[in-house]
Formats: sequence, C-alpha cells, structure tokens
Amino acid sequence: MKRLGTGLVVVVVMVALTLAGAALAGATTYAGPQQWAQNQGAGSSFSSGWKYNYFFKNGSGHDSTVTFIDNVTYSWHATVRNTSSTTYTYWFASNVKRGHCRANSAYFWGSCAVVN
Amino acid sequence: MVGLRMTRRRWAIVTLVSTLATAILATSVVAGQFRSPDSEAFHAGLATGEIARVADIAAGEGLPGRGVFVQTTDTGQLCLWDAPSAGSRQRQGGCNSADDPLGGHELSVSFAYDGGPAVSDVRDARLIGLVAERVAEVHVLMSDGSRRAMRLRDARIDGASYRAFGHRFTPGELRQGAEPAAVLALDAAGQEIDRQQTGFVR
Repeated sequence: MKRLGTGLVVVVVMVALTLAGAALAGATTYAGPQQWAQNQGAGSSFSSGWKYNYFFKNGSGHDSTVTFIDNVTYSWHATVRNTSSTTYTYWFASNVKRGHCRANSAYFWGSCAVVN
Repeated sequence: MVGLRMTRRRWAIVTLVSTLATAILATSVVAGQFRSPDSEAFHAGLATGEIARVADIAAGEGLPGRGVFVQTTDTGQLCLWDAPSAGSRQRQGGCNSADDPLGGHELSVSFAYDGGPAVSDVRDARLIGLVAERVAEVHVLMSDGSRRAMRLRDARIDGASYRAFGHRFTPGELRQGAEPAAVLALDAAGQEIDRQQTGFVR
C-alpha cells in the first residue's frame, strides 16, 4: 500500500514537472499537425504573452496566413501571408490577443504554434 | 443456400474491414511524413546565422522605411524578412530550406499588413520577394487587372545570384478598390514563367 502511494507521488511529480517544463518552454502548438482544407483556420487561447506566431508546413508551396487578433476590437495585427515552408509573424504589443492561422490552399500537412 | 448467404456476408465483412484498415494505414503513413518541428528549437534557430539587407521598403504616409533581409540560419533555414533593421526581432516573413530558398519556384514572396480583416481597416500593406536570377521583371497583378512593376535589386546569397524587391502599397493604391491578387515572374521576353497568389485574407 505504501509502495502504491509512493508510486502515485512519483507520477504526480513527473506530470507536474512535465507541465512546468512546457510552460517554461513558451511555445504552444494550437493546431495540428493535421491536414488542412482550403480556408480552414484555427486560433490559440487569448493571452497577453504571445509574441510570435508560426505556421509550420510540410514543405513550401502551400499558401497560408498567420496573424494576431486582439480581444477588444477583434482586429487583425501583423498579418503575414506566403507559401514558405514556415510562415512567421510577431506582435510585441501587450494587448490580450490570440494567434490565428489559416490555410489558403488545400490538402497539406501543417501545424500552428505561438511563442511568448 | 444458407451457407452461400453466410459466405457472402463473411466476404462483405472481410472487405469492409480490409478497406477500413487500408484507409487507416494510408492516413497514418501520410501523417507520419510530416513531423511538426520543435517550435522552441526552430525559434531559437532564428537567432543564429547571418542576415543581409537585399532591398528597401520606402517610408511613406508617416510610416518609417523598412528593409528586406535574408537570413541563413545555423539550422539550415533561409528566411526572407520584412523588418525595420537587420538586428530587429520585429520580423515578418517566412523560411524555406536553405537548399531550396525558392521552394522549387521562380519566386518566393511574402505579403504583410496591419489592420483588417476588412480591407478598409488596413493601415499598412507591404510585399517583399526573392526571385531567381533569370526573372527579368516582377509584376503585382491587382484585382482590377492593372499591374504594378516591382523594382528589382541583385542579391548574392550563399554564392548564388537572386533578385529581391520590397514594396509598400500606398493608401491611394488600396483606396481605389484594387488590391493585390498575384505576383507574376516574367522572363526577359516578357513571358510569365511563374506566379504566386497573394492578397488580403477575409
């Protein structure tokens, strides 16, 4: 019974350390990896901490957009559109915002991530 | 008769299961071909390597001039940036493998804008690009069919020759209702040899 309790504590500590490590890393994948349909979009959670927004794709030639959307006017900020294998933007403002990514072409694999 | 019906049902089940298994296997194989990069490692890689200015973006309408920069990172990426300066982290653009900076095309362009999504709310819109040496002219095709010629500047990157450009759309260009729709690469004979879709996303 005591051994079971010790094991549970170890598991809880490991999970806590993993979550803490993820938080310290500062990068959050908010969509994918997945196959994208044309005009499909995705958004991260809202945070004042996000500064960079990435769309990682399985090679170049896939048209995509990344932007930030504030939580007051829902305007778009620092929008970037291209077909590079990674599409990238930044927005250093302290506003509460979410990263948003969108596929402008269809049938490619990719993922979106925000970094603080 | 009953045995024949059972055989048919068994075959139908076997066929269904086989089809499903094949579909699942095919999906997992395709999915397995793409591994999302480690975001943090990729981000750290952008702080490495050399960065060079290859074109300018003119100041205008109270907005400061910016530059077009190419960065070859230690992690094998070649990034094309629209940024205030070489040392700035306020960059916008994209990266391809340094082995294939144009991604198998004649041009690689990046469109950046502030405001929107409604075009009437856009405050600043800029286009940057890198093209193969054999591209003689680059035209932006506007939604009304008109064209804007980009001024190209020679660029030497990792021993190879390219041409680069940067353009800021004036409020006048956008207020007239026309917006960028595609970027065309033309050869010396004026023939279109490649194009990339661009423009505001709604």
